[in-house]
Parts: sequence; C-alpha cells; structure tokens
Amino acid sequence: MRLGFLMIEDLAKNLVELKNEFAKSYDGKSQIQEVIPKSTSSLFPIAEPHLESLHRFATKNPIYYNYFEKKIGSVDCVVYEGDINRYWLNSIQHGSSKAPFSPTWIMSGYVVTLFAKHLGFSEVIDIGSGDGRIAFCAKILDMESFSIEIDDVLVDLQKLLSKTIDFHPHCSDAATFDYNSLNLKHPIFFIGGLAQMGGNTLAEDVLQKINSISHLKANSGWVFAGTFSQKYAPDPKNEAGWGSLIEEHNLKSIQTISLPTAWTFHETESTPYIFSQSI
Amino acid sequence: MASAEDISQMFHSEYLKLQNLINTANSKTDMNIHEIVETYYQIMNVSSMATMLKQQTKSNELLDRIRETEKLISEQFDSVIHPKIMTNLSASIQEMTRALQSGNSTEKSKEKIESDAKLFEELRQKMSTKEFVDQYETGISHD
Repeated sequence: MRLGFLMIEDLAKNLVELKNEFAKSYDGKSQIQEVIPKSTSSLFPIAEPHLESLHRFATKNPIYYNYFEKKIGSVDCVVYEGDINRYWLNSIQHGSSKAPFSPTWIMSGYVVTLFAKHLGFSEVIDIGSGDGRIAFCAKILDMESFSIEIDDVLVDLQKLLSKTIDFHPHCSDAATFDYNSLNLKHPIFFIGGLAQMGGNTLAEDVLQKINSISHLKANSGWVFAGTFSQKYAPDPKNEAGWGSLIEEHNLKSIQTISLPTAWTFHETESTPYIFSQSI
Repeated sequence: MASAEDISQMFHSEYLKLQNLINTANSKTDMNIHEIVETYYQIMNVSSMATMLKQQTKSNELLDRIRETEKLISEQFDSVIHPKIMTNLSASIQEMTRALQSGNSTEKSKEKIESDAKLFEELRQKMSTKEFVDQYETGISHD
C-alpha cells in the first residue's frame, strides 16, 4: 500500500484529532503517553504489518511500563504509558548533549518517514535520535536508515530495539560524525530538538558537515521539529523557529506537517515538522 | 506623582519585607524553593529601587536608608545567605541525583515509577532554581 500526499496529510490530521480526543479523556499519571491504532481503518489506512511493527517497537521498549486497549472516538487503540526520567537524568549529564531526550509519538515518526519516502528520499538519518523511533519507522517503510545519538544509554536502548529491524544505531556526536562512511545518495536528515532547545546549533553543525560533501549539498532534505509556543522566542523569519537557519543555508521549506509529540501532549498545538531542501 | 515622603515610605516598606525574609533565611537550615525565589526576587526588587533612588533623591534620610539596605544585602545576603543557598542546592541536587540513579537498576512497579516521577519533577525544579541562583552569583561577581 502506497499513500499519496493527500492521504498522508489526512493521516496526520486524523492523528492530531485522535491525540486531542485522547488528551481530553486521559486520567492516568504517566510522564509520557501515546496511542497507536489497533488495526487498519478508514481513518488510519496503514498496512497491518507496519502497524504490527509499531506496536512491537512500543511493547519491546523499556520506556513504556504499561499498556491497555481503549476506544478513542471511533478508533480502537492501544495506549502506551511510559517514563523517560532516567534517560533525562543521563542525557543532561552529557556536556555535548544539545537537548534532553523527549520523544515524538511513534505514529508521528511513521507519518514523517512516510512523507519523506513520498518525497523520493532514499535514506533517513535520524540525528539526536533518542530511542531511534524515526529511523525504525523509515526501516519498516523499506528505506535505508541510520540513527545517530550521543548518549550511550540511549544507544544501548536502540540496540535492544534494532535486533529484529536494524536501523543502524551509531553512538556518536553528530557534529563530528563521518557521513561519508554511510555512502548516502539521496538522504533526508531529521534534526532532534527544537531550534530554541539546542536544535539550531545541532542543525548548523550537521549542515556544515553535509555541505562540505559535494554530491550531498544539493541532494539532501532536512526536517526540523518546530514550535509556535509562546514559551520560546519566535524566529524573525518564522518557520516555527527555523526560518533564519533555512534562509542562511539556502534551503526552501517544502511542506509543514503538524503531529503529536510527548512534549506537546498537554498543549493544544501539535509539533510542526518543517520539511525543507536546497533551493 | 508620588511625593518624596511617599517614595521614602515605599522604599522603607520594601526594606522591611526584605529584612523579614533575611531573618527567616538566617533562622532556617534549609529553605524551600518558594522561599528561595521569593527572597531573591525581593533582593532584586530592593536593589533596583536603591539604584534608581540614589540617582534621584536629595534626601539624606533616604540616602542613609539606602546605604543601610545595601549593607544588609552585601553583609548578610551576599556574604552569608546566598553562599549557603548555593551550597545547599548543589548538595541536594547531588544527593537526589545519586538516589534516583541508584534506584534505576531495579525493576519497578507502575506505582513506584509514578511516585518516583514526582521526585524527578522536584529535581528539575531544584536544577532550574540553581540556574537562577547561579545567574545572581554571576551578577555579583561582576559588580
């Protein structure tokens, strides 16, 4: 099953509505929580083997300590409850860690990689990848994927989760990583962290590395997780905090897709993912 | 427009609030986050008022009061209470971090994970208070 852009856009909208509905009724005490539809439906026309893989990623992942079935609106779902405090504690002790670990939803990881595939990119490189969920989702969509994370405890977690589907976890500082070693052809880079939470510096460092590789400079895509929250200073060029970086690096924004993330669960606005590429 | 007398009285009232907070801080071995933030806020409030009024007033009485206030801040708060708060916060953060890290190795129940989450939240609050206190330290070390 291959979804066109309009269907991917609908999938994203349906996921945001599902999250809003879930957030209204959720009365648990977990630090993070997310849902995955139990089976394919008209609102979530996702291939069953893909859904099974997404559920497997959650059930094998030690950040989730509880799950249960729940009907949200008209959709039968599984709710996963988790806690990332110990990973947070470890990540803040890394001098070079740009932002503490906080994950996007697994379903959001699926939607963004689905769109990356729709755009024609062949490899996904998940920078500051946390538990590697974006790289995992890319792999189940038959894209090549690589996951780069500086925090060794998170990389150990990725190794555990990549036993059946190898999304190539690398424990490395993305700012110094040798991207030539990956033999990339038409890659898309997902940058972890909001611009205002260290993401900007991380993106700058990786963009410089990639721009120094001649065949990748004009051939790479970039995805940035943004925010419209008033908690953060806005960027004068907008793009949910990324406008200045996009302009300075001669990129153009192709599309923005809003999706649920752990850090926006209690907020009305979802996280805008800004897809961009060289002009 | 407020008269010189009104301004002087307002400053005195803020000074008394500060003195109260300093007395409380002196009497306690460990202040909670709310007390810490409230005390620093009042220090900054009174310090800015003092800076502004020093340039504007010609009243010797008010100038004396400002000098008395600056002495209180410098001798009691900056030299005694502020270092004590920094030391206590650092020790408490270290102790909580160690305790939370040591508890990570064991398998935990849902209830235990959710009750520990409150301690993590407390740790985050202490860390952000420490950042705030560190900024004050940077300010006084550049004075």
